[in-house]
Amino acid sequence: MRRFRERYGAAPIHLLAVLASFAVAGYALSRALDLTRNPDRIVIWLGGSIVAHDLILFPVYALLGGITVAAIVGTRTRSRLRIAALNHLRVPALLSGLLLLVWFPLIADKGERSFMRVSGLSKDVYFGRWLTITAVLFAGSALLFAIRLRRLRRD
Amino acid sequence: MRLPAVGPFRRDFWRSPLRGPWLASALSSALLPLIAICAVTGFVSHWAYQPHLGGNAVFGGSAPGNGFDLYGLDWPTSPAWLYVATQGLHVITGLAAIPILLAKLWTVIPKLFENPPFRSPAHALERLSLLLLVGGSLFVFSTGVINIQVWYPFGFSFVPAHYYAAIVMLAALCLHVGLKLPVMRAAFRQRGVTRPLREDLRHTKPEPGLPGIVTSAPHAAAEPTLTRRALLGGVGAASAGLAVMTTGQVVGGPLAELAVLAPRGRGRGDGPNDFPINKTFAAANIPREKVGSDWRLLLHVTNERRAMLTREELLAMEQVTAELPIACVEGWSTTQTWSGVRLVDLARVAGVPDPSAVEVRSMQPRGALRSVTLGRGQVTHPEGMLALRVNGADLALDHGYPARVIVPALPGVHCTKWVGKMVFS
Repeated sequence: MRRFRERYGAAPIHLLAVLASFAVAGYALSRALDLTRNPDRIVIWLGGSIVAHDLILFPVYALLGGITVAAIVGTRTRSRLRIAALNHLRVPALLSGLLLLVWFPLIADKGERSFMRVSGLSKDVYFGRWLTITAVLFAGSALLFAIRLRRLRRD
Repeated sequence: MRLPAVGPFRRDFWRSPLRGPWLASALSSALLPLIAICAVTGFVSHWAYQPHLGGNAVFGGSAPGNGFDLYGLDWPTSPAWLYVATQGLHVITGLAAIPILLAKLWTVIPKLFENPPFRSPAHALERLSLLLLVGGSLFVFSTGVINIQVWYPFGFSFVPAHYYAAIVMLAALCLHVGLKLPVMRAAFRQRGVTRPLREDLRHTKPEPGLPGIVTSAPHAAAEPTLTRRALLGGVGAASAGLAVMTTGQVVGGPLAELAVLAPRGRGRGDGPNDFPINKTFAAANIPREKVGSDWRLLLHVTNERRAMLTREELLAMEQVTAELPIACVEGWSTTQTWSGVRLVDLARVAGVPDPSAVEVRSMQPRGALRSVTLGRGQVTHPEGMLALRVNGADLALDHGYPARVIVPALPGVHCTKWVGKMVFS
């Protein structure tokens, strides 16, 4: 038993649990590939979604975030004012970005033709709505910042 | 085997002071119940289609084992809002989970660049399983979110892919929860379950990490610019915001106007037929003359025609009126006052006084759901009807004129429109 632990790196129950999980996942994956047209597209979407998040979305927003932090706070991390300014900028930016990510097909009119055909409605209102929400988020955040600024100055 | 310590593979590359096992545990505690509800209601939705009846199975035929069809158990007809609730929960919890999932991935992403990448066979297998977990989750969430926005760029069949990818995700998730529960317990014991939420910016320190475990806690942390309370508060607000906006279109009616970024939340006017449409008459490709005065409802028992009724004859029969929701699998609903002929009365006309099922066929020339089988509870329900009118007016063409099926708690796509034929058994 100890030799197994040393070689494998965990208790035998670990290996059993992993194999059970792989068996179920493998079965489900094979069913998905059996039952759909263009099964290769499933594999592409599965791998592509990991690449899209881990190697594109994350680096892009992390980089933008890093640049913003460096530009506003830099090394002056003791300045409460600068930290407040940073947060009043990045919170609305992140919320707006999240809405764009989730509702991208609506906002960018993707699938407009099929949507129009099945629902009788157009997607063309959503870009304007998203812009309005974004404007409200930034304006609200700026207003709160102005109020905090006055309080910080008073202290 | 060690990779060269460059870029993200360097231990001091990851500088955020907020990352660590406590933050990962806190986010997981919020994420897990949402995914659990989303998964259960997803399987419930599959059951609601009653894949064991007739040609209802969306994929794989009606043989047992094609999905968890609960082996022949009929979908209930009460309460009438059952499918509104289950499918609404599915879409709401799914959308609400997205900000938390993204925050969780942000928290643990340093572990993607762990160095050495494989410490033992056990570690390698665990990482392979994480590939399934992350890939499966991103697959299930992205296809679901895109599908409810009526965009189909994937090129594969949505239903089986979404369904079985969810099982891949859940298989990996069960293993993940089992393996990480001790880490979560250790993190909460080390830092307290809620204590880090009370720290202000001055007291926000990097997590120390856990002895003997590789964690996402930083080795060389930057000064904090955000408290953990603010981070989790922001994620929670984003999640709640998505949930509230979606609730509008789940519930329908005037609340739907709140759903400013939801595909089906929009009002169309004040007329009796001005409620959302899932599929327009134009999209159904039915020749115009088929819904004119020559339209007849054919009532069959297997291959034998038992009756042929005009719309006037149907309107002359006893009418039932009921206020019932129709709920779409995409997570929106609309409640209207329908009236028409009871399905059970039509069965009697066809010479079947005690029907066990009815297959309803639409006049649509194509489409997977143009023929649907309803079970005994549905065909005999006193409010299960072939609707002819809505809100006191004739059905509009877009809502299924000359006649459509309305049954309490029946999923929207099974409320067949433009009905041409009913086969009782």
